Amino acid sequence: MSDVVIIGAGMHPFGRIDKTYEEIGADAASAALRDAGIEWSQIQAAYLSRMYLPATSGARILRRLGSTDMSITDIEAACASGGAALRQGVLAIRSGEVDLVMVLGCEKMPRGFMDPSMIYSPWQIELGMSLNPAYWSMRAQRHIYEYGTTELQIAKVAYKNHKNSVHNPYAMYRKEFSLEEILNSPPVCDPIRRLEICAPDDGAAAVVIASAKRARELGASGKAINIAACCHTIARYSADFRCPADSMSATANNPGPTEVTGKQAYERAGLGPKDIDCFEVQDTDAFCEIEIYEALGLCPLGEGGKLIDEGKTDIGGDMPVNMSGGLISKGEPVGASHLGQVVEIVTQLRGQAGPRQVANAKVGLAHVLGAGGNCAVTIMQR
Amino acid sequence: MSTVTQNAARDPVAIRDGLLCGPLSQLAQVRLAGSKCTNCGETSLGTVKICPNCGRDSVQNIALGNRGVLWSFTIVRHRPPGNYKGPDPFVPFGMGLVELPEGLRVLSPIQCDIDKLKIGLALQFKPYVRHDDDRDVVAFGFEPTQG
Ligand SMILES: [Zn+2]
Repeated sequence: MSDVVIIGAGMHPFGRIDKTYEEIGADAASAALRDAGIEWSQIQAAYLSRMYLPATSGARILRRLGSTDMSITDIEAACASGGAALRQGVLAIRSGEVDLVMVLGCEKMPRGFMDPSMIYSPWQIELGMSLNPAYWSMRAQRHIYEYGTTELQIAKVAYKNHKNSVHNPYAMYRKEFSLEEILNSPPVCDPIRRLEICAPDDGAAAVVIASAKRARELGASGKAINIAACCHTIARYSADFRCPADSMSATANNPGPTEVTGKQAYERAGLGPKDIDCFEVQDTDAFCEIEIYEALGLCPLGEGGKLIDEGKTDIGGDMPVNMSGGLISKGEPVGASHLGQVVEIVTQLRGQAGPRQVANAKVGLAHVLGAGGNCAVTIMQR
Repeated sequence: MSTVTQNAARDPVAIRDGLLCGPLSQLAQVRLAGSKCTNCGETSLGTVKICPNCGRDSVQNIALGNRGVLWSFTIVRHRPPGNYKGPDPFVPFGMGLVELPEGLRVLSPIQCDIDKLKIGLALQFKPYVRHDDDRDVVAFGFEPTQG
């Protein structure tokens, strides 16, 4: 059983927020402390997950909660930054040096497409190969060709996630769209359409984690959620065609980062996909979710489209995915997105998710994937 | 750098160092550069000293073939952000992974009518000179094979 537990979780709604990143981050951190029932001065180390914020943002945000001399570190691993930061917190507690840690994710993003020079080389930008959705779309196009996945199946993922978002007060968009509206929305990069992709935005989410022993001493065991696994990997050679790759091998046959990280997390947790009651995964675009069904073992390779057709990943289905509405509805404040997923899973495992609650959820999995094949998977258990 | 005499025609430069090989002033002979590893057998794009697969320095610089097949593609419908050098006003264009005989798929703009794009389309390498304000740049795309 896990030796590190989540005793507090808090979030600032994701969206286009008219506040500084320091304010947004401090709000989420305070919410997590309140939820844990502890004071800021009790925390012994803190990690900030972020990608687009300036240097030493963690310290700048958290000094708003009070003066401290503890170690505060910023962690960056593209879309998987939150997983990488949470992993650092877990490792710090396992080392025995600290037993009460804050992990915060915060981002305030530029509007529209992300600044390409953060990710791409000048020549790629000059040739126009600098739109992240173009890379997602090429994966979708090939999947359609190889497995007969349809544009309707891709639209169904977007339909489900938009529909789920209506019940999530932390989502940026909370509007249901019909399949027809989704299929009639203009293509961004064919075959992916406007209502099938996520937008960058602002937001923050935080957890307070503790050793199981410290949680008992604090009287927090009752609401504690075990971190059964928290893994972060980057894609092996040519295992994942994703920005800013300029080429891929046609001969190497390495498993992709979601498969590798998922397997590592399942092994560490001693669980398999059938043991997971609810999932939050990287739906940067609706097709990506289909691919992740397959890579996380929810269905065999090539059958992700069938899974959405059968409604298995609806909130009432066998294996609900993106109960929160996913990134398609919440937006992707990169550094905050994984911790946002973790907060959603914690809420589900506590049975506090209201109309989007998965009945009797005991185990949940959060997954992120992004630039450079950065991938993180966290499995939580009550 | 020479500051005194300049030829009327400026010597072109590659869009990225190590990405192209052959004499840049003779476009018909320009190819994509590749690196083949004698240890693991993988071929990678551009001139590299260390194999990105196995990490050995056992790589040979090669010229990649100039014919390939479209492995996957998309149509870019919005002007890409930043210093995009394509047509202004923006025109939607194809972009895809082109599978070359060396066992490598290279990402490239695909220069053809966007309605003609499909997986399996036979393509040929198409280097061209782009006249920037301060320099001439050899850039590239792929286009459907002629005849
Ligand atoms: Zn090698």
